[in-house]
Amino acid sequence: MTNIMLFAAGSSNAALWTFLIYMLAVFSLAAFSNKLLKGKNFLSEYFLGSRGLGVWAFALTFAATSASGGSFTGFPSKIYTHGWVLGLWIGSYIVVPICAMGLLGKRINQVARISSSITVPDILRDRFRSVSFGLIAVSLIVFFMAFNLVAQFKSGSLILKTLVLDVTVFQNASTAVSGWIQGVSFFEGVDAGYLICLLTFGVAVIVYTTYGGFHAVVWTDVMQGIVMVVGVLIMLPLALMLVGKDAPEGTGSLQYATQQMVHMVPPEKGTATIHRANNEETKVVVRQGDWLTLSAEPVRLFRVTKEKEIAAGSASVAAVPVLEIMTPADIKRVLENKDTSIRSDLRVDLQSLQMTAYMFGGEEDRNGNGQLDYGEDKNKNGELDYGEDKNKNGQLDDGEDQNNNGQLDGAEDRNNNGQLDGAEDRNKNGKLDHPQKGLYVTGPGPDPNQMNGFLPLSLAFSFFFMWAISGSGQPSSMVRLMAFKDAMTLRRSIFTVAMYYSMIYFPLVIIFCCARILLPGMENEPDRIMPAMAVFLTENIGLGWLAGLLVAAPFAAVMSTVDSFLLMISSSLVRDIYQRNIDPKVKEKTIKILSYVFTLIVGVGAMLGAVNPPQFLQDIIVYTGSGLAAAFLGPMVFALYWPRSNAGGSIAGMLAGFAAHLSMYCGGILANDSFFQPYRLFNFDPIIIGLVTSFTVTYVATLLTEPPPEDLVRKYFYKTKES
Amino acid sequence: MSSSSLPDKDQYDPTFVNSRREAIVIFGSWVVALIWAVPYCYLNGYNVADPENIKTVLGMPAWLFWGIAAPWIVANLFTTWFCFAYMKDDDLGVNPDEEVETDSQQEEDEDEEGNE
Repeated sequence: MTNIMLFAAGSSNAALWTFLIYMLAVFSLAAFSNKLLKGKNFLSEYFLGSRGLGVWAFALTFAATSASGGSFTGFPSKIYTHGWVLGLWIGSYIVVPICAMGLLGKRINQVARISSSITVPDILRDRFRSVSFGLIAVSLIVFFMAFNLVAQFKSGSLILKTLVLDVTVFQNASTAVSGWIQGVSFFEGVDAGYLICLLTFGVAVIVYTTYGGFHAVVWTDVMQGIVMVVGVLIMLPLALMLVGKDAPEGTGSLQYATQQMVHMVPPEKGTATIHRANNEETKVVVRQGDWLTLSAEPVRLFRVTKEKEIAAGSASVAAVPVLEIMTPADIKRVLENKDTSIRSDLRVDLQSLQMTAYMFGGEEDRNGNGQLDYGEDKNKNGELDYGEDKNKNGQLDDGEDQNNNGQLDGAEDRNNNGQLDGAEDRNKNGKLDHPQKGLYVTGPGPDPNQMNGFLPLSLAFSFFFMWAISGSGQPSSMVRLMAFKDAMTLRRSIFTVAMYYSMIYFPLVIIFCCARILLPGMENEPDRIMPAMAVFLTENIGLGWLAGLLVAAPFAAVMSTVDSFLLMISSSLVRDIYQRNIDPKVKEKTIKILSYVFTLIVGVGAMLGAVNPPQFLQDIIVYTGSGLAAAFLGPMVFALYWPRSNAGGSIAGMLAGFAAHLSMYCGGILANDSFFQPYRLFNFDPIIIGLVTSFTVTYVATLLTEPPPEDLVRKYFYKTKES
Repeated sequence: MSSSSLPDKDQYDPTFVNSRREAIVIFGSWVVALIWAVPYCYLNGYNVADPENIKTVLGMPAWLFWGIAAPWIVANLFTTWFCFAYMKDDDLGVNPDEEVETDSQQEEDEDEEGNE
């Protein structure tokens, strides 16, 4: 096993080269697409590829757009942090392709042709002959997508930063930019490295999307989709091979990985004061990822989570964020690995340690039966919710008390030397005497912040709903469903995407379960687990250049999402607002200029928004994605499949879905002090509440209002040549 | 309310009728997947009595194999059947954009034949 820090530098140039080659390919595709625009209906070609997508283009653009950056950053980091239960978390992917493409696909494509629609609001407007419905739909799309776009820009920039972090050119540029932006209020508190990545990422995406339009987006999606699956298929055998190296005779690689995971104990996070171990006076940098030990029997092992420095002349630095590895086998593996360098020039101060255990998974299993029993159980509910009675004497003793924020607070939970004392069931080395077993191989999975674990039953249901059902309600997916050529293309594409997802999602679970054994202590920066693993695997087989390709996968994923969202917003503005409401007789040439200009403006706007992005990146993506589904899926299903549906009922359903979903989030402000920790009515995710409301209201409100005009029903539901 | 002059339901556009039927079958497959996967995983993969000796199949926890991995294969078989034996190649109507096109025609209609 090799320390990833050692070869991060070597592979980073490969990453840089991959990135450059990649960009070159993307721009070539955009230039080629631009040629296609000539001689065709500009709007339809620019925003919908003239409804001519074949199987590969359609399947891969659909798959790549749905697999946002999260699939290659957030998802691997979740697998690493919570273990095998992530297999259930993405369980509904077994039917996602057939649901997301098949539920609406054929019919939405047909209706879009009947009405000559190019965008989703177009369809609703024409299907119900209602200008106001079109405008409401446009407003919701622009509202949600604009937020989402800003978040995606940030996500893309962060991924890019991860790739180039160790490249010298990048480091020099960061220093230079840092000097330039100092004192400019707009850039206050903005990290220079992030800014460079944002500009690079933003300009690249905006330019190729603006110039090439839909076909550029589709073709780059195809390329990105291929990069993603190739990346995963290379990583899977490598991960299994490397894990299997230590496996005893007769035990398979994955079997061995699972057995190791059974004994894993979640790490603890906290802070420590770090001293120099020698008498030198020079500045010492404590780097992120550095390993530190604390002499004890057995040795305690820490990993630095955030860079700090001991200033020249100073003996120590306080409050350094650290992670303590709690799994004995992991500690052994790290210590025995000759390539891991433990910082011998630094010393962890025992008295200063303030560590916090996982809310779920960090507790003692005192009778060793693998389960938390009475008196240990935090919330299942033996009534010992906050302030566990650890020594079972019926009262909370010194050092056990917790405040009522539901968080174990290290300072409260331990005595002043930073250790758990005997009365708390830990020995003097801070270890759990009887850690729970099997946390990473069973549900609900360990969790640092949730008392009920990562995936309690209600959430497992919600996620099953979320991926498959709300996935079909995304307007960005609907647009793609309007673009395929014929029904046969759809059939073959559903099959292709099903195979494609099978090759990506479950293998990712296996790869990053193996990562728990191969790369211990990555909880200190879980979002970097994908590039770290790519580098680790390829360097181990002497093919460092391959890492460049592998780390491009997450970047590809986020790029393919951003470009399609960008196009969706600009198409809404050009088609749905300008052409259809302001100037229906607008000339083709003007439309062309407007399309370019709007795509450019929206892109630049989102990029500027991402300079000082809102904090809760993933939360915004979840909020907007589920919000769009809550608003659009119900009305669209009824519009396509129910002849009785009418404008009034569908508008009511759309607004009700939007409002119900939003109110759950607003309820979060009251219940949990945060918009992004929504209130969970009956323990369900807001998406379920939103969808149920939307479907119900659409149905009831439709029945209460006038039936739709007969000619409309005839146009969309009956044979054109009546006998 | 509606004394409509609309034709009978048997005059419905077959593309509409087929896609609605297919959508119902797809939704049913999602329900089946849900009813199998989540309860199975919960009953067998949560609150495991003896996690140290957890059963495995092909190296992964048995509850996950039978709850998700094996159904994944079944779901793929179902999808294959659905795509190649059940779903109809309905006519989606004319492409409204092609009427606007003057000189450029869609080239190579990749293997149109060979379906059904």
